[in-house]
Amino acid sequence: MSEEQLNELSSRALQRIEAASTEEELETVRVEALGRKGALAQASRQMGALAPEERARIGKLLNAVKQSLESSLERRKAAFAEKALRERLESEWVDLTLPAPGIRPGSLHPVTQVQAELEDLFISLGFTVLGGPEVETERNNFDALNIPPEHPARDMQDTFWLEGGYVLRTHTSPVQVRGMERLGPPLRMIAPGRVFRNEEVDASHEHTFYQIEGMMVDRDVSIAHLLYFMKTLISAIFHRDVTVRLRPGYFPFVEPGFELDIHCLICGGKGCPVCKYNGWVELLPCGLVHPNVLRMSGIDPEEWNGFAFGLGLTRLVMMRYGIDDIRLLMSGDLRFLRQF
Amino acid sequence: MKFSYNWICELVEGVNTGARELGQLITMKTAECEGVEPFGEHLAHVCAARVLEVTDIPGSHNKKVVVDAGQHGKKTVVCGAPNCREGMITAYAPPGVKLARGEIRRMEVAGVLSDGMLASGAELDINRDAEGVLEFAAEPGDPIPGCAPDSIIEIDNKSITHRPDLWGHHGLAREVAAILGLRLKNPVNTARLPEGAGDVLVSIEDFDLCPRYSALTFDNVTVQPSPLWLQYRLHSIDLHPINNIVDVTNFVMAEITEPMHAFDRDTLKGDTIYARPARAGEFITALNQETYKLEESMVVIADARGPVAIGGVIGGLDTGIVDRTRRIVLEAANFKAASIRKTSTRLKLRTDASMRFEKAQDPTNTVRGLARAVELFEQASPGLRLVGGVADAMRPIPPPPEIALDLQWLARKLGRNVDPKQVLEILERLEFEVREEASKWLVAKVPSWRATRDISIKDDLVEEVGRMIGYDAIPPRPPLIPSTVPPANEERLFHRGVRAAIAAQGFTEVYNYSFVNEEMARRFGMDPAAHVAVTNPIADDQDLLRISLAPRVWKNIQDNSRHFDSFRLFEIGYEIHRKADGLPDEADHLVAAIYERDGDGRAGLFELKRVGECLMPGLEAAPVEARPFEHPARAYQIRWRGETVGRLYEMHPSMGEGRAAMLDVNLQRVRGLGAAPKRYQPLRKFPASAFDLSVVAGVRELAGEVEKKLRALAGESLETIEFVRQYTGPPLAEGTQSLSFRLTVYAPDHTLTAEEVSGIRARIIDGMRASGYDLRV
Ligand SMILES: [Zn+2]
Repeated sequence: MSEEQLNELSSRALQRIEAASTEEELETVRVEALGRKGALAQASRQMGALAPEERARIGKLLNAVKQSLESSLERRKAAFAEKALRERLESEWVDLTLPAPGIRPGSLHPVTQVQAELEDLFISLGFTVLGGPEVETERNNFDALNIPPEHPARDMQDTFWLEGGYVLRTHTSPVQVRGMERLGPPLRMIAPGRVFRNEEVDASHEHTFYQIEGMMVDRDVSIAHLLYFMKTLISAIFHRDVTVRLRPGYFPFVEPGFELDIHCLICGGKGCPVCKYNGWVELLPCGLVHPNVLRMSGIDPEEWNGFAFGLGLTRLVMMRYGIDDIRLLMSGDLRFLRQF
Repeated sequence: MKFSYNWICELVEGVNTGARELGQLITMKTAECEGVEPFGEHLAHVCAARVLEVTDIPGSHNKKVVVDAGQHGKKTVVCGAPNCREGMITAYAPPGVKLARGEIRRMEVAGVLSDGMLASGAELDINRDAEGVLEFAAEPGDPIPGCAPDSIIEIDNKSITHRPDLWGHHGLAREVAAILGLRLKNPVNTARLPEGAGDVLVSIEDFDLCPRYSALTFDNVTVQPSPLWLQYRLHSIDLHPINNIVDVTNFVMAEITEPMHAFDRDTLKGDTIYARPARAGEFITALNQETYKLEESMVVIADARGPVAIGGVIGGLDTGIVDRTRRIVLEAANFKAASIRKTSTRLKLRTDASMRFEKAQDPTNTVRGLARAVELFEQASPGLRLVGGVADAMRPIPPPPEIALDLQWLARKLGRNVDPKQVLEILERLEFEVREEASKWLVAKVPSWRATRDISIKDDLVEEVGRMIGYDAIPPRPPLIPSTVPPANEERLFHRGVRAAIAAQGFTEVYNYSFVNEEMARRFGMDPAAHVAVTNPIADDQDLLRISLAPRVWKNIQDNSRHFDSFRLFEIGYEIHRKADGLPDEADHLVAAIYERDGDGRAGLFELKRVGECLMPGLEAAPVEARPFEHPARAYQIRWRGETVGRLYEMHPSMGEGRAAMLDVNLQRVRGLGAAPKRYQPLRKFPASAFDLSVVAGVRELAGEVEKKLRALAGESLETIEFVRQYTGPPLAEGTQSLSFRLTVYAPDHTLTAEEVSGIRARIIDGMRASGYDLRV
């Protein structure tokens, strides 16, 4: 094969490589030019017939043509692969603004959530969490809390009475009695739970609501200690500055007794149904445990004393989330509950 | 309880704290003030006027009246009051004054320009008399005597339950004096009481029920309206003016907390008044016109004929004060608090008297009440005369307790030191008699009005001192306590875990009432009699305690189906089951529900099964006879660790539209079974082999049962068995299904050979065939 013929072959093959529109066409060119039976292979076989210096020259040229064709093929092949990848990727476009399939998580009742927070807080302060039954004995709900049968304080809590003389507990305080009798002094306990009052239901009254009872019995427990826990509690609950006031309050199971009020967070103290239009919300009745209560649960009040508090958990939840109608909490209405 | 600010100011020297601020101070130091409202503000602008001229207006029932209104000059007004006549002194309200019914405007009435208005007692909020214009003695232009603008301080009754003394103005005035450091006045002068034997005799049968009964007789009584100031004062605190005699008794009650009662002496039979328990079968018609059947636990006041009053609660109608009454017996007594409360509860009758007596009133107060009344009667019923001395039957009043107070102990209770001088001063202002005994000890003698129940132990004194120094003055301080780990509450922790798991599966938590009613119970196939009943339900539909969470959850489903086509919700709550004796059993349950308006309901049931498996890995569902509210072909028991722990079912279509799948789990039982102990198993060392088997079974045959049989046949070499698919249709015979499982087998000590694997497979196939199953191989 002459030099001209080789150059001719090379330029024709290069043209075809450039002109190939599919990978298959490219492969055909490769086989015809570079294959075992291809044009260059034939040329190479014919080399033996050439004079030695001619052979060297043609051999060199042959190699150059081969390299040039191979690199062109490689380049074109890569281009085809790249194009194919581009097309695949392009075709794989997804619209992630579409909603993800599958179930969304549900939600826990707001009372559950706040209760859990408070339980954790008190556990971290060394309090144990106790439970007690919704149906209580008259003794645990009243007598053992220094509220004998004819005590006018019984009127303070409209009671649901049950057959057999039992009551639906009107407060979580009977768990104090259970706690003292079970654990003995010293003790630190809280008792969250459902309580009942025989009251007509409206935007600010429910016959079923939640409280958290708290109690500490030890030696020389003081009002200053009670105040410390109440303050810790309030700041942990609201994560913000809340105006509070502590004033005398009467509860037969504490002496002295207090009411801790917070500035209404719904209306900012201006007055609304939740605060009964006076700007303050009673949140925490509390006090030092009455010696009679300790005595009735078998604890010597000369040796031990303590404090107790009853946090209005439901009220607190309303304050926390700005809920202005207490009935929603027991409504089972998912339009409401899914917000938490 | 309503308190008149002016009245308190009359009882305390030199108050210059406004009503609103005083209300705040009372809240912070004594009892909860629920509000302070101005009362009779308009009275500052109303004055006395003399009627000069009254002329008819043709064609109108009104009259044209000219009055001399002092500084307002002569005014022409239109007035329709029947008592309006020339020469009288009445109340003139100029235009611009705001009364309860609106602002007075200068306007034309029946063709006459009315320049202001003549007003009745009711219009002026002085009393409830709307019959005619007010009539009184004064000079034109004067304010209405004794009827000045006031403020009403309302104290929450609950916050003074323990304070018998705070049910009257003098008691609250004492607190105000102590708070402000001012001097308290004593409105009572017992020197006014006449000496000598009483006109009537008093006989107390049971001194426990009635520790003291004091009476005083008056004659030459004129029953008439009280002076305006007295009417206004009572009216301002919601006590209705009736007549001078009754008003005085109410005034004394509202002032010094001694409820009193006046009998018409001429209607009393005999000369002895008895305070005794009621006899069985006795009745009394009371002043409120109601007739009450009395019980032996109640105290009555009786004359020779029978009961004339229910002691401490209400007087009798027959012996009450009427217009023609000339002689009265005034009663001031003391009753046992618990008995009064019981009587008032039994009779469903709460009166101003019973409300006070049930707080344990001071027995020394009876004669003080009489003394105060004597003074007031002189103004209210001129010419009235005392007859005899005070008839006073009583048992000895126990001496007021003396309480020793260790000041160091007090400081430990408060959590701060208090200057002994300050303690002394606080107690003395509250009228304790205090003496120092050694350097750190005080002995405080409790005043009689607080000795009945309120104050008996040193802890009560902590409150007196604490509230007066102000709780804000005690710095919060953390206690020194051992750092111990509190015992965990397993139930709560378990509930938390369950809640978190269920909510993560898309369920929203609801809370429901513990109450159901008979109809709900019956609809869910539960016997109403099996429930604990509420004896005083708030509503008829809430008179039973739930023994299942399902009825209320079902109601949630129905309520929410109005807003959503599909949803998931759950509740964790207590079932309350009656026991033969003792408190009911309370078992915590989970009810989770999935509602789909459309669809065949299968997906919901399986999803709930999966949710159940999150709590109880490896639970089994076993078909069970459906209850009436359950879909008869879709009711299963949930079994776990060999125990029945719950139920999985679909609601019967007759209960409502759509599909509702329900999972009800007894969490108490699940918790009792405990978490499975976990123990590491070494990883298998040799490869396992898997093969599929398709078992042909009847269409109603349970896949779970087929799987159990395969498992048993595979024996020890079985590693896992997995359900692959279920198939019905050709070429299977009608009424059969194919259930395919993938079994993975292994040996712990070598790689199973092909022969071993096919041996196992053949053993299983043979076993199944022997049990009557066909296998598609
Ligand atoms: Zn508010």
